Amino acid sequence: MSQISYGNVNDTIVKSMMPPGRSWLIGMLFILSALSMGIFAWGFQIRHGLEVSGISHPIGWGVYITNFVFWIGIGHAGTLISAVLYLVRAPFRTSIYRASEAMTVFAVMTAGLFPVIHLGRAALAYWLLPYPNQRGLWVNFKSPLLWDVFAIATYMSVSIAFFILGLIPDLAAVRDESKGLKRFLYGIPAMGFRGTNHQWLHYMRGYLLFAAIATPLVFSVHSIVSWDFAMSSIPGWHSTIFAPYFVAGAIFSGCAMVLTIMIPLRIAFPGFADIIKVKDLEGMAKMIIFTSLIVTYSYAVEFFVAYYSGARFERALFWFRPFGELKPFFWLMVFCNCIAPIALWVKKIRVSIPALFIISIFVNIGMWLERFNIVGTSLAHDFDPFVWGNYQFEWGEIWITIGSFGWFFMWFFIFVKIMPSLAVAELKESIKPPLRNSK
Amino acid sequence: MKKRFTGVWATFEFLDDTCSSIQSLKESGFNKLTTHTPCPRHEIDHALGDPQSRVPFATLTGAFFGFGVAVLVVVWMTLDWILPVSAKPVVSVPIMGPIAFEFSVLMSIYFTIGAMILLIAKDTFAHPVPKSKKYRQYNRFLRDRFGVVVLCGADDIPKVEGILKKHQAEEVNLED
Repeated sequence: MSQISYGNVNDTIVKSMMPPGRSWLIGMLFILSALSMGIFAWGFQIRHGLEVSGISHPIGWGVYITNFVFWIGIGHAGTLISAVLYLVRAPFRTSIYRASEAMTVFAVMTAGLFPVIHLGRAALAYWLLPYPNQRGLWVNFKSPLLWDVFAIATYMSVSIAFFILGLIPDLAAVRDESKGLKRFLYGIPAMGFRGTNHQWLHYMRGYLLFAAIATPLVFSVHSIVSWDFAMSSIPGWHSTIFAPYFVAGAIFSGCAMVLTIMIPLRIAFPGFADIIKVKDLEGMAKMIIFTSLIVTYSYAVEFFVAYYSGARFERALFWFRPFGELKPFFWLMVFCNCIAPIALWVKKIRVSIPALFIISIFVNIGMWLERFNIVGTSLAHDFDPFVWGNYQFEWGEIWITIGSFGWFFMWFFIFVKIMPSLAVAELKESIKPPLRNSK
Repeated sequence: MKKRFTGVWATFEFLDDTCSSIQSLKESGFNKLTTHTPCPRHEIDHALGDPQSRVPFATLTGAFFGFGVAVLVVVWMTLDWILPVSAKPVVSVPIMGPIAFEFSVLMSIYFTIGAMILLIAKDTFAHPVPKSKKYRQYNRFLRDRFGVVVLCGADDIPKVEGILKKHQAEEVNLED
């Protein structure tokens, strides 16, 4: 397809929403198997307690909180791409933002499970909400953990609203391309949208405002997640660099996950390769280079501050990270987050689809390890040598982690089959309109 | 009983034809116009005289409302059960920051959605469109065609039809 027209865009989307084929079903089978593992392990944990996780003295926050921060980070890129890149009119955004937004919603849905899983007694999760308990005691507003409840809840609400808002004109387009029951079913969420000037006027103004409001939200959410750590006095956590460091890390991991998702999507659906161009993926690769540099700089600054401050506990921790019992996690993290993305400086690698996919996987692994290094090593090596310890991974938390990927990809697989995974209206906006006098 | 629509609606293949027909209609005094486009186009906005949306007022109201509610909630809950921590103030302003910010964002989003729905409903009510089956079942407006709907009296229909045909409308439908 050399010249994309308005009609082509609709046809490509409608084709991608045809009943699933064998590859989709086999993929879904793997995903549901992973999810079943996670559900089983969680059920076992609820029945037998946190013994199936490695959480123990002194590491009270283990894989579950690592997973929570990891998934929130993944969820960051969607809103960044849909809101921040919309405001700055980045040209590579249009073809990838819908799938990125879906990724955000599903990643935040996944992240939201982990505080509940980490509680052990999942049925008491409502204690996190501001309601008076039996003694009339309210929640503690001075705790960053409570700020996090508000931040995550707001972020999830806004991400879902932004996602649904963007879908309305596209669902209306799918409705108009369908017949019978399908037309009726797509007509409900399309809410009578017919592309009139009145509808577009208020819709576009509302969408712009959403983007403007969501932009500070992107930066606030991961800053608040970082304060969960930074406002405590644990060595390795009590740092003012944490907010920007976490935000950059979140964008870094989110952009990598966008590539991990978009590359197979581009191969799976015919016609998508004409719309999701290599230069769009290259734009994401450039974002990865930029954020990788910030992340690498943050790692270096942490070590420098530990040395320059003269704080003995801080120095001890930052010696422990690269040379202690948990050192493989540290060095693997450095390789994945600082060294592997260097390859993207070479244009030939940046435009190579297999290379981009492999590097994105490295970054995903590296960012999970980064969160584990922050959570695990700091608690393993705090002030008192008497309580120093190590982290032992247990089967339950590993299965739940695998299950979380199953949960995330299950939603994504369903999404690509029932919703337009490319933004129809925005793609049309970005191509040349049909003109009689094209000069 | 539903009010009958009298007027004309036409479809266009090209954007420039659509814009020139809108300008001609407005110059001839037909201002009750509704257009259909597959995606938002500034050219149509310019032809229609750059209408402005009032959604931002609702967004701002939502932000103030959210901020106020958050501050009140934090102050009330903090004073309802005082937890003295050394000499720190019971009601501390900095700790309200994250809660007030998040609540402002949340409320401004809800107000924005509400305003969008209300304003679209109001404008759609003020600019009626044909009730005919042909119009309702025309399904290319969100695909690849542009549309112009003109509300006018039965006497003006031939004149409007002429303007639309002059600008090479693909299809002109009379509703009387």
